[in-house]
Amino acid sequence: MANKRNATVLVGLSLAAVAVIAVWKPTVLIYGIQAAGLYASIAIPMGLILGIVHIVNLAHGEFMMLASYATYMLCSATGMDPFVAMVPTAAVTALFGFVIYRLTIRQALKAPELNQLILTFGIAIAMTQAVNLIYTSQTRKLSFEYVSASIDIGELSFGIFNFVFVLVAILMVVGLRIFLTRTTTGKAALAVGQNPKGAAIVGIDVDRTYGLVFALASALVGMMGALFITRSSIFPGVGSPFTMKSFCLVAMAGIGNIPGILGASILLGISENFLKAFRGLRGWADIVFFVLIITVILGRSIRGKKA
Amino acid sequence: MILNIQKLEAGYGKLKVLRGIDLHVGKESVGLFGPNGAGKTTLINAIMGIVKPWSGTIEFEGVSIGGNATHLVARSGIALVPQERELFPGMSVADNLELGAAYVPRGKPVMARQLETVLTLFPILKERYKQLVGTMSGGQQRMVAIGRALMANPALLILDEPSLGLQPSIVAEVFDRLSILKKDIAILVTEQNVRESLKAIDRGYVMENGAVTIEDIAEGLARNPHVVSAYLGI
Repeated sequence: MANKRNATVLVGLSLAAVAVIAVWKPTVLIYGIQAAGLYASIAIPMGLILGIVHIVNLAHGEFMMLASYATYMLCSATGMDPFVAMVPTAAVTALFGFVIYRLTIRQALKAPELNQLILTFGIAIAMTQAVNLIYTSQTRKLSFEYVSASIDIGELSFGIFNFVFVLVAILMVVGLRIFLTRTTTGKAALAVGQNPKGAAIVGIDVDRTYGLVFALASALVGMMGALFITRSSIFPGVGSPFTMKSFCLVAMAGIGNIPGILGASILLGISENFLKAFRGLRGWADIVFFVLIITVILGRSIRGKKA
Repeated sequence: MILNIQKLEAGYGKLKVLRGIDLHVGKESVGLFGPNGAGKTTLINAIMGIVKPWSGTIEFEGVSIGGNATHLVARSGIALVPQERELFPGMSVADNLELGAAYVPRGKPVMARQLETVLTLFPILKERYKQLVGTMSGGQQRMVAIGRALMANPALLILDEPSLGLQPSIVAEVFDRLSILKKDIAILVTEQNVRESLKAIDRGYVMENGAVTIEDIAEGLARNPHVVSAYLGI
């Protein structure tokens, strides 16, 4: 119930802001939504893990970074397009995620939650440093012509490639919704998230379901790693800001509320681009994110206290 | 013999709770009585693989299941209605019932038939079919839990304190439904409410301090002076 109300508030606020901004500074709206697409499509896999396995994977962005490097190697060696390479990359990342889950996270499931944080934080550092050692800290970039595609509407000219991420985010939300509410495996995953003991007594293999969800989320973030390299250069630390942003977006939406991540991302994307539109305020854009997360969590705690 | 338990010992940490339990269930309805702390729930947890047995044997339909993982025990044909119900609160009655059968080989092929049986047994679940289980009353949730267990088409249905926290009229209703069920399925039921459950069972055990102290048919238990003074309160 609370999740639904939060989502409604977020969407309502977003729509109001969108209406004002659309008239006043249309590019803020366009680039804001494009940024939101990227944020959301990276955060949604984390929302899936948090909502079902209840693990905060602090190596989430690093999983994406690793997938980006894999895509980079594959594409520069074979000339493959990242949109094709995302399929093998997703498969490899899924396998990698599953192995990491089996070897490490699974062992920490029964321990106090702090252990899981420390564990995944350690995995994140190990991954960043391993990539640093193997590939050095040099930034790498692949260039594609289609990335600079743009259109003109009246006097307005803007890049359209990044709308791909909006599409991916929407597809993820719709796809996960179908998976979780229409398939037996998806329902079992939801059931495990809501009550692992109850799931076991109806014959669901809880451990296997955890591994499966973790692998699925890894596949999705791996796919994002492949797509990420189309628009950004990569370096070993490229993933870590996305870990934090994803975690905060998931927290803003409310744990378990995957569609809410879309709303939270739009709020963040548009607010950031709004500040970036003013010359003197540009440097403050990164702080918007913290202001938003603090406001939302504070608001929720105060309301929680009243209830 | 559906369930055959011999010399079962189990506990938590260093605390031994079950001190050599011998118990069997055939094609019948068996009650398990005793005060709080006697070890009834621990016994059920040991059967379901939630607690690992220390020693002794648990056989289900002639196959040893002692120490098997919970989901494997469930798949082999034992359905549990736990004391705390353990439902999926954010899912509908329909989904809760479906998951009761989806992973059990003997339940999945006859899902439609079992659903029919469950909805006939508990018509309220038909009315609330799309409602989220978390928004339902305790009594209705108990019915969902029993329904979910029946969906598995189990050979053995275990109910842990089915009347706990229910108002007396619903308790009578639950036992009424149980006496309908016992024609087809073996039932093992633990109960504080001995008076109501004696009507629904064929045979019963009394457990005290982790051991079986009395074993008798229902009529015998109803006349047993110890049972009368300790549990029937006459």
